[in-house]
Amino acid sequence: MSKPHRLPAGGLVDRGASLAFSFDGKRYAGHPGDTLASALLANGVKLVGRSFKYHRPRGVLTAGFEEPNALVELRSGARREPNTKATVAELFDGLEARSQNRWPSLAFDLLAVNQLASPAFVAGFYYKTFMWPASFWEKLYEPMIRRAAGLGRAAEAADPDSYEKTTAHCDLLVIGGGAGGLAAALAAGRAGARVIIADEDFVLGGRLNAERRSVGDVASADWAAQAAAELASLPEVTVLTRTTVTSVHDGGVYGALERVSDHLAQPLSHQPRQRFWRIVAKRSVLASGALERPIPFGNNDRPGVMLAGAVRTYINRFGVAPGKRAVVYANNDDAAATVADLVAAGCEVAAVVDARGDASALQATAKAAGALLVFGRTVARAYGGRVVEGCEIADARGDTFNVPCDLIAVSGGWSPAIQLTNHLNGRPAWDDRRAAFLPGVTPPGMTVVGSANGDFGLAETFATGARAGAEAAAAEGFSGAGFELPSVEPEAGETYGDGPWRPTIKRGKAFVDFQNDVTVSDVELSAREGFRSVEHLKRYTTLGMATDQGKTSNVVGLALMAEITGKSIPDTGVTMNRPPYTPVAIGALAGAHRHKEFRPTRLPPSHFWAEEQGAVFTETGQWMRAAYFPRRGEADWFETMVREVETVRTKVGVYDASTLGKIDIHGPDAATLLDKVYVNAFASLAVGKARYGLMLREDGVAMDDGTTTRLGDQHFYMTTTTANAGAVMRHLEFAKQWLWPELDVHFASVTDQWAQYAIAGPRSRDVVAALVDPGFDVSNEALPYMGATELTVCGGVKARLFRLSFSGELAYELAVPARYGDAMIRAIVKAGEPFGICPYGAEALAVMRIEKGHAAGPELNGNTTGADLGMGRMMSKKKDFIGRTLAGREGLADPSRPALVGFRPVDRTARLRSGAHFVARGAEPTAANDEGYMTSTAYSPSNGHWIGLGFLARGASRMGEIVRAYDPVRDGDVEVEVVSPVFVDPEGARLRA
Amino acid sequence: MPEPLVARSALRAHVAPVVTASVEPGVTLRERSGLTLATVSALGGRDAELADAVRSAFGLELPTTPKRVAAGEAAFVWAGPGKWLATSTGAADFASLPAGVSDQSDGRTVLSVSGPLARETLATLIAVDLHPRAFAAGDVALTHAASIAVHLWRVDDEAAFELAVFRSYAATLWRWLVHAGAARNIDARLDG
Repeated sequence: MSKPHRLPAGGLVDRGASLAFSFDGKRYAGHPGDTLASALLANGVKLVGRSFKYHRPRGVLTAGFEEPNALVELRSGARREPNTKATVAELFDGLEARSQNRWPSLAFDLLAVNQLASPAFVAGFYYKTFMWPASFWEKLYEPMIRRAAGLGRAAEAADPDSYEKTTAHCDLLVIGGGAGGLAAALAAGRAGARVIIADEDFVLGGRLNAERRSVGDVASADWAAQAAAELASLPEVTVLTRTTVTSVHDGGVYGALERVSDHLAQPLSHQPRQRFWRIVAKRSVLASGALERPIPFGNNDRPGVMLAGAVRTYINRFGVAPGKRAVVYANNDDAAATVADLVAAGCEVAAVVDARGDASALQATAKAAGALLVFGRTVARAYGGRVVEGCEIADARGDTFNVPCDLIAVSGGWSPAIQLTNHLNGRPAWDDRRAAFLPGVTPPGMTVVGSANGDFGLAETFATGARAGAEAAAAEGFSGAGFELPSVEPEAGETYGDGPWRPTIKRGKAFVDFQNDVTVSDVELSAREGFRSVEHLKRYTTLGMATDQGKTSNVVGLALMAEITGKSIPDTGVTMNRPPYTPVAIGALAGAHRHKEFRPTRLPPSHFWAEEQGAVFTETGQWMRAAYFPRRGEADWFETMVREVETVRTKVGVYDASTLGKIDIHGPDAATLLDKVYVNAFASLAVGKARYGLMLREDGVAMDDGTTTRLGDQHFYMTTTTANAGAVMRHLEFAKQWLWPELDVHFASVTDQWAQYAIAGPRSRDVVAALVDPGFDVSNEALPYMGATELTVCGGVKARLFRLSFSGELAYELAVPARYGDAMIRAIVKAGEPFGICPYGAEALAVMRIEKGHAAGPELNGNTTGADLGMGRMMSKKKDFIGRTLAGREGLADPSRPALVGFRPVDRTARLRSGAHFVARGAEPTAANDEGYMTSTAYSPSNGHWIGLGFLARGASRMGEIVRAYDPVRDGDVEVEVVSPVFVDPEGARLRA
Repeated sequence: MPEPLVARSALRAHVAPVVTASVEPGVTLRERSGLTLATVSALGGRDAELADAVRSAFGLELPTTPKRVAAGEAAFVWAGPGKWLATSTGAADFASLPAGVSDQSDGRTVLSVSGPLARETLATLIAVDLHPRAFAAGDVALTHAASIAVHLWRVDDEAAFELAVFRSYAATLWRWLVHAGAARNIDARLDG
C-alpha cells in the first residue's frame, strides 16, 4: 500500500512494524507510534470530517488534545465512541474509525447545503427563530436541529468495559512531560522525593519530540527518551503516560484520567479501560506547555490548513509530510523553524507570509528555502473544494494575488496552557508583550514553569522546571544530585505574536471556533447586537463551548471582540477555565462500583441458608433480607405471606432479626445516659429485663425505637431499627462526647457479632426448650415476658435469650455468635419441625406489626411526636431527656394534632391504601378539610380484611367514627371506621402466655 | 438433643477462590480466621489500671496514638481515644480486663492483604497514604474502603496489611478487593 506522504526516514514511529486500520471502511496501514491523524496524513487522507453546523469539510488542524476538527467515531458496536480526537487516538492494529456528521458520505454530504443557507445558522439564529409557537419546539424544531447539527453517535449498547478509580500520594506532582516537566521530575526524583509525572501523550518529551533540536549533544527526542528511562528507573517516581491531569481541587488534590487501554483494540483481561486518579500532592509543577493559535482568514478551516507547530510535529515526530507545497503564514519568528523543517522534509515552501510589517528575521530562511517572503500582508482566504489548493494573499489596500499550495502552516502565536491554574478561581493576567494570558494567582503549592508560564524558550523551560522540582524536593527535606542544565541553542527571534485577529478583506467564512462553527462574522454580529462582554459573547455565539473548550479559539475570539469594541483585552474579559481540562467519561468517574456493586451488600447470617430455601429477598438499606419463603404451589407473595402469618399466629415461625442495630453499652453511667436519650426511664430497669424505649431528636420529633436489655449493673444491650442503626450510634456518641462528656459510658456496635432469630408463635417455647442446654429453664416463670438471660444452646454455644415479641405472639429472640448463625437457623427449623415451624420474611413481619399497631418507618417518619404515636404517657415528667423541651412546643403539644389510630373499611371487602387522606364524612375533599393520612395498610389474615394505621386529628377521641379515606391519585375513596391500632390480642394475653 | 453447631466464616459460601497470578502473585488475599477479637474501652479514671492489666497479662504497652502493638498471640490496635481492638490468634481472656469490653470475635472479619502490589490494590479503595514513609509497620488507620468502614493496620515492613471490617460487609469487601486485584495477579482464597 502506498503511503505518499510518509518520509523515507525519521520520527518516532516503528517503521519495521505495520498496523492495519480502516477509515470509513477503507483499509490503510500505519506504524506503531502513529496517531490516527498521522497515519491518515501519511496515507494522503486530508478530509476527515464534516463540521458541526455547516457540514464543511474538515481536516487535521493540530497534533494534540486541543484538536477541534479531526473528530471521528472510533471502534464499533458497544465500544463505539464519538468525537474522538484523531490527533491523539493511538493507532492499533484493527482500529476502525469513521467520519462523523456526514450523509451519505464524507466526500458528498447532502447537509453541506447548510452552508448555502448559512445566514439561517449564524449566531443567535435559534434564539430568534424557533420561538413560536412554543408547541413546535419539542415536536418539530428540536428534532430537526438535532438531525442537522451535532457530531458523532453514542454507542447504544451498555459499555462493556470496566473503569477503576484510585488514589496516589506524592511530594510532587509534575503535570506535563515536556522539557520543563522532565527537568522538574528529574530534579526532585533524583533527590529522593516521591514524584508523579503525568503526561497526556503516550511518550514523554512534549515538543522535544516535535522539534529538530539538540539538547546537550543529542537530539532533543533522544534526550527525552533518556530522561524518561531514568525516571522509570527511580523507585519513588511514578510515570503516568496517557494520563491527563483534568482538575485541581482544594487541599492539593488533583484529578487525572489515565487511558489505560484506549490504545488497544480492547482492554487486556481484567484491565480497566480507563483509570481515574485522585492524586494528593504536597506540591505541583505545571509544565503543560502552550497551545498554538490559528489566525482567522477565509476558509481557514479547509483540510490542508494546519497549525505550524503541528506541521513540525507531523514531520519530525511521525515522519509525515502533511503537504508537498506549503505556504507558511505567521505573526512570529517561529515561522523560521517551520520553513526549515518543511525544507528538510523535502517539501516546497512556496511563500512565507508574515503578517507583521517587518520580517527581517525570516529573510535568510525564506531565501534559503527559495520561498517568496511576503510581509505586512495577510492571507485573505484559502481556496479549493474539499482540500486546500492555494491561498489568496492580500495587502492593506485589498489587492490580492494567489499562491497555489496544498498546505497552509499557520502560527498566530502561543497561548500558555494555564487552564488548571483557573480551577481554584485564580484569574489569569493578560501579558501584552507576549500577547497571552499568563497564570495569575495559582492554586496553593503549584509552580508554573516553561511555556505554560510564558517562558517560551527551551533554556528557560529547563531552568524553571529544574528549579521548581528542586524546591519542591527541598521543602520535603530531600536534596541531592539535582538536575544540571543541559546546553541548548537559543531560539531565533520571538515565538510570540499578536493578531491580526481578522482578515483585512472578507473572502468566505473565517473561523474562530472550528468545532462549534463560530466565525469572525458571528463575533461581529454579537458585538453589533450588544453581546460584548466575553461571557455574553460565549453564550450568544457558543464560542468556546464545544468539547475542546475553546483551546484554540478563546483567545482569538476575545481579542477579536476587543478589537471590534476598541477596548483592551483585559477590559473585554477573561476566559476562565473550569474542570475538566479535557472530557472525562462518566464511567471513569463512577469507577469500578457500578450496578449491584454501587454500594456494599450486607448479608445477615442466615442468608446462605435462605437462598437454599428459595427465599425472595428485599433490600433494606444495604441489607438483603428475606421478604418471603414461597412454597410449591403458592401463586404469589400474598399467598405466601398469608400462610406465614397464619403459621406464626397458630404454630410457630422463625425470622432473622439480625439486621436490627445492636449496641453494647458499658460503664457506670450507662443507665444515666439511657435515661437522657430515651423518653422513658431505664435506670430502674432490673438486670435480666428488657424494656421498649422511644428516643426523640433534639427538636422533639420521634427518632427511633427499640428494646434495651440490662445484662449487668453497668452493661446494657440496645437494639435499634435496621434503618437507623448508624444514626442512633452517632446520636449516642454525640450525646456522650458533646452533651455530657462527664458521663463514663462507652458504646460498641455489636450488630454483626450476633445472629439473632425471632422465634414466634404459640409453640415457640417448645422450640426454644428443645435448643437450650440442659439446666436452663425457659418457662414463663423463669423467663417471663420482657425477660432476658444468658445461657448456652446446642451443646455449649453461648447465647442470649430474650422474651420479646414484635408479632404479638409468645415469642423469643435467640442470639448466638454470628459464626453459628447459619447452623443456628438450621437447628431452629429442625427443632421446630414437630411443631409445624416455618421461616417467615419481612412481608409477614410487616403485616403482623400492623396487626399489633406497632409504629415503624412509615410512622416514625420525621414528622411525628411521641404523643402522635400514642406514647405521650410514656414520656417521663420526672427526668430530662433529649427532645423533651422542644416536644413541648405549642405546635407539637397541640391536642388536635393527628394521632395514631387504626382503621378498618366499613365495607370489609374494600382495600385500603397508604397515602390516602382523611376527611370527615360529607365534607368536601379539599386541603382545608384534610384531617390526616394513612401511613400503613395491609391485608390482615388474622382479621380477614384490610386494616390500616394512620394519623387522624384528635384520633384517640374518635373511636367508632366513620371518615373518608380519600386517595384521588389512585381513585380511592373508602369509608373507614376509626378503631384501636391493635387489631390482634389487644389485651396482650398471648405474648405473656 | 440438637446437633452441635458448626461455625462458618462470613465469607464461606459467598466467595469463590480467584487466582489470576500465573507465577508470583502481586497481591495475596486471605481471611485471618479463628481470631479472638474484642473492643476495649477505658473506663473513666481507670486508664492506668487498664494499662497495667494489659501489661501484666499480655506484656504490651497500650498505644495512645494510631498504632498497633503485638506480642506473641495478642495485639492491641488503637481504635480511637481510649479505645482499642484487642486481637489474639488463640483464645484470650479480654473480658476480664478492667474496661468496657465487647466480644467482637464474630462481629469483625479480618482480611490480610499482602504482596508487592498490595499497596496499589488497596489504593483503589482506600485514600490513606500507605507508602512506608507515611504508614509504617504498626501504623493504624480508621478509614473506609470505598463505602465500607475499615480498621486498617500494617503488619510489618513488608507489604502486609490487615483490615478489620464488620462481618456483614466482608463478602462485599472481598469481592471489591478481588476485582481490584484481578489485574494485579491476585491470589485470593479461603484457607481450608
